[in-house]
Amino acid sequence: MTITEKLLERLLDEKKLSYCQDCGSCTGSCPMAKSLPDKYNPRRLLQRVSQDLPNLLKSDELWLCAWCYRCTERCPSGIQPTEIFLLTRNLASREGYVPENPKAIMRQIMKSGRSVQVPEDFDEWREGYGLPPIGVTISQKALDEQRKIFGKENLRRIEP
Amino acid sequence: MTEYLLYPGCVASVRELGYEMSMRAVFKALGATLKGRDDFNCCMPACLVHSIDYSKGLALTARNLAIAEEEELPLLTLCSSCFGNLSRAKYLLDKNQDLKDDVNKSLAEVGREYKGYAKVKHVVTALYEDYTPEVLMNLSVAPLHALKAAPFYGCHLFLPQRYAKFDDSDFPEKLDHLIEMTGADSVNYHEKSSCCIGCGSFFGKVSEDASLKLAEMILDDVKNSGADAIVATCPFCMMQLEVGQMKLKDEKGKIYDLPVFHYVDILGLSMGLKPEELGLGLRRLDSSPLLKRLERL
Repeated sequence: MTITEKLLERLLDEKKLSYCQDCGSCTGSCPMAKSLPDKYNPRRLLQRVSQDLPNLLKSDELWLCAWCYRCTERCPSGIQPTEIFLLTRNLASREGYVPENPKAIMRQIMKSGRSVQVPEDFDEWREGYGLPPIGVTISQKALDEQRKIFGKENLRRIEP
Repeated sequence: MTEYLLYPGCVASVRELGYEMSMRAVFKALGATLKGRDDFNCCMPACLVHSIDYSKGLALTARNLAIAEEEELPLLTLCSSCFGNLSRAKYLLDKNQDLKDDVNKSLAEVGREYKGYAKVKHVVTALYEDYTPEVLMNLSVAPLHALKAAPFYGCHLFLPQRYAKFDDSDFPEKLDHLIEMTGADSVNYHEKSSCCIGCGSFFGKVSEDASLKLAEMILDDVKNSGADAIVATCPFCMMQLEVGQMKLKDEKGKIYDLPVFHYVDILGLSMGLKPEELGLGLRRLDSSPLLKRLERL
């Protein structure tokens, strides 16, 4: 059993999930639910993690959490929806369900070491404002280390 | 003299250069030394990379912590999202030995190790904790008495409390306090500790629309509060609230006229630094009418 599986098992402990009082503090605190009330509901999402996992892994809803932690902070039962959703996405990614947009940003990170693209002549522009150069990518050694740590299997998971 | 290892992050150093200029000018004026490196990797947004592989994601984030340990300097982050990722990795690894062992197995493949003593600071936490509001108040030789500022906390500066260890999670007040040290009035409004959905805007059209809708709620609320400007702590929030105003003008004809500053901008102004030293001309929205009214232009 990998460490990820162990963590997920602990967070998804049936006994612990049954602590959910259905109070809706998570949904009431969630900025994504406030903005998209008919598309996103963390309380229901949490129920689906334990009751409807195979379908959930294929659904876009799993990828809408904006990772703000308000639900985790406010859950009166100490359930950690944010970390649970991140771990559940690991299961989706193993089955090949990663939406295209997140994949594209991750490819950008693996290619350059940054989540946003740096234009070719950017350092000249920075210099004009008295700022030190940052390069189009991070150092080659750092890029190699990054790819080695992330690993071939994960690199395959973010291919188009 | 205080020395930090600067962790510039992607958004600040590429998309919000004005903020990076401002932050460097203020820390220089405070007598701090900022050391740079060319081999930090992206903080690895948990909502993306840790979603693919929780443990390898943490290892990539912890690689940056390991570099800070090697330098024996506290990391100074410009972005709240970087601060959140690095603090989260530190919290999870320091608490769970199995996870730390697993992460260190990955780091050993590239000759690195996370030992556990790295320190993570954000520009705002460094100002609050290392310099203290009282010292900043004494440095405010040109106080901004005429400015009504709407503080915007964002998320990862203080959420969750157990990772960030900075402010109260329901009623944060440290940014309000810091704003008042510059002589400005910190305006109260409902959405001040709201989320900008910047970190959730990666999903495509659905989440971009969601973040614009939330930006509109926040901007309406700030406008009603009577504030002259927004003072944020995170370059990602700044970008969302700036671009949000531009889009809402194009799409709905709504004019908010709310310059978006970072806290260091108004701190710098109150310390007597010039708008051009603080890169205020490099922002997406024009703050010159407000700066003229404040007699800084």
